[in-house]
Amino acid sequence: MIYNILLAIFLTVNINLYCCDIIYNGAFVINSKILLCHECDLLIENQEIAEGSKLECPRCGHVLYKQKHNTVNKTLAYTITALICFYPAVTESIMTLNMSGLSQEQSLIGGARVLLHEKYYLVAILTFMSSLLAPLLRLTLLLYVTLSLSLNYFHSSLLWSFRLYHHVEEWGMLDVYMLGIIVSVVKLLSMAEIQPGFGLWAYAVLLVTSILATTSLNHHEVWEQLLEKKNSCGATQAVNQ
Amino acid sequence: MKHLTGKEAGLVLCSECHSIHHNLTEVELQCSCCGADLHQRKPNSLNRTWALLITSMILFIPANTLTIMNVAYFGQDDPSTIIGGVVLLLQLGSYSVAFVVFVASVIVPVFKMIGILMILLSLKFNINMSERQRIRMFRFIEFIGRWSMLDIFVISILAALVNISGVAVITAGAAATAFGSVVVLTMLAANSFDTRLLWDYSATDNHLDK
Repeated sequence: MIYNILLAIFLTVNINLYCCDIIYNGAFVINSKILLCHECDLLIENQEIAEGSKLECPRCGHVLYKQKHNTVNKTLAYTITALICFYPAVTESIMTLNMSGLSQEQSLIGGARVLLHEKYYLVAILTFMSSLLAPLLRLTLLLYVTLSLSLNYFHSSLLWSFRLYHHVEEWGMLDVYMLGIIVSVVKLLSMAEIQPGFGLWAYAVLLVTSILATTSLNHHEVWEQLLEKKNSCGATQAVNQ
Repeated sequence: MKHLTGKEAGLVLCSECHSIHHNLTEVELQCSCCGADLHQRKPNSLNRTWALLITSMILFIPANTLTIMNVAYFGQDDPSTIIGGVVLLLQLGSYSVAFVVFVASVIVPVFKMIGILMILLSLKFNINMSERQRIRMFRFIEFIGRWSMLDIFVISILAALVNISGVAVITAGAAATAFGSVVVLTMLAANSFDTRLLWDYSATDNHLDK
């Protein structure tokens, strides 16, 4: 117990000595000499790692950061492609059902509309949010952040935009929806004829490019650049480098 | 050697931009870098997780007993439950899809709820389990959680597509609302749980031993 307290005091003093040149407003920025694990709160000394590799927490295995640079432009390209495909993917028919001479089309937005019409409000909102609103919001925020960074533009709304992006990320479920399309086709094949529509192809491209946009982006690089451009934190970063 | 955590060193990590703060007073609760709210640990993490978990467990009962989808084929109603839908797929002979649906809408929610319950109980009763093992389980739970939305999407696609009155009409059932809530609530439960508590609790144990 006493040993731990002593250790804590010793390390705290040490941290303050260590980082006195990079303290600003009581905050250490990402590039500092110490790191805290996001998942287990372990205090870790920052290490230089090679480009393309990643630093993992020795205690819980969480990836602390990836050393991957110049990801912003690549992400921007994927995001623009995804946004171009968004409109046809949502409005064009995904598939057409032929049954006893009658046919029925279905688009991405149609599913939510039918549920709303049947008064299943919660399910309708859930479908609308996770298959349409969240992906669109996510891509728009990503476009705003990456475009601003590549044009060297800064506005304080970028900070909350990128924060909001983190929260929206897991509620966009384009990939699950794709699996949903496959399952419904299998369910219907025995009783009707199904034809894929133009919307399906647009949707497939949207899915692939939005996954690529998410995986190619290095969050730490974006935060680094955003905080560098922000004055109050930027001063710290400049001293550090 | 005993590891030192940020909490013990008086450091607070911003959950959004990952900058580290120190010498914080009680009033100073915003990250000076990105403006997010700062917390040493997620506020009321355990209580929130318990509440959301118990609610989702209660809703899981109507989600499985009520009808999730009604198929009216030439005027004949054929309501089915979640399990009924899987059985139908098996009868159609598409075993792989039946397996996918079964995993997404039965195994995943059950595994998720049991997993979170196990983690919460292990913290509550100080059960000795490896933290590494528990965090692996938790990450897995977080990762698979969204895939149980599959059934909801299938219903919304089918309801929109098969809507030819007089021939075949597919409508959603009350269980869809319950099941949708289960998925959202378990996702929120996983979000509100602060994984750092796993190590906090075991650290207090080590202190008591000495």
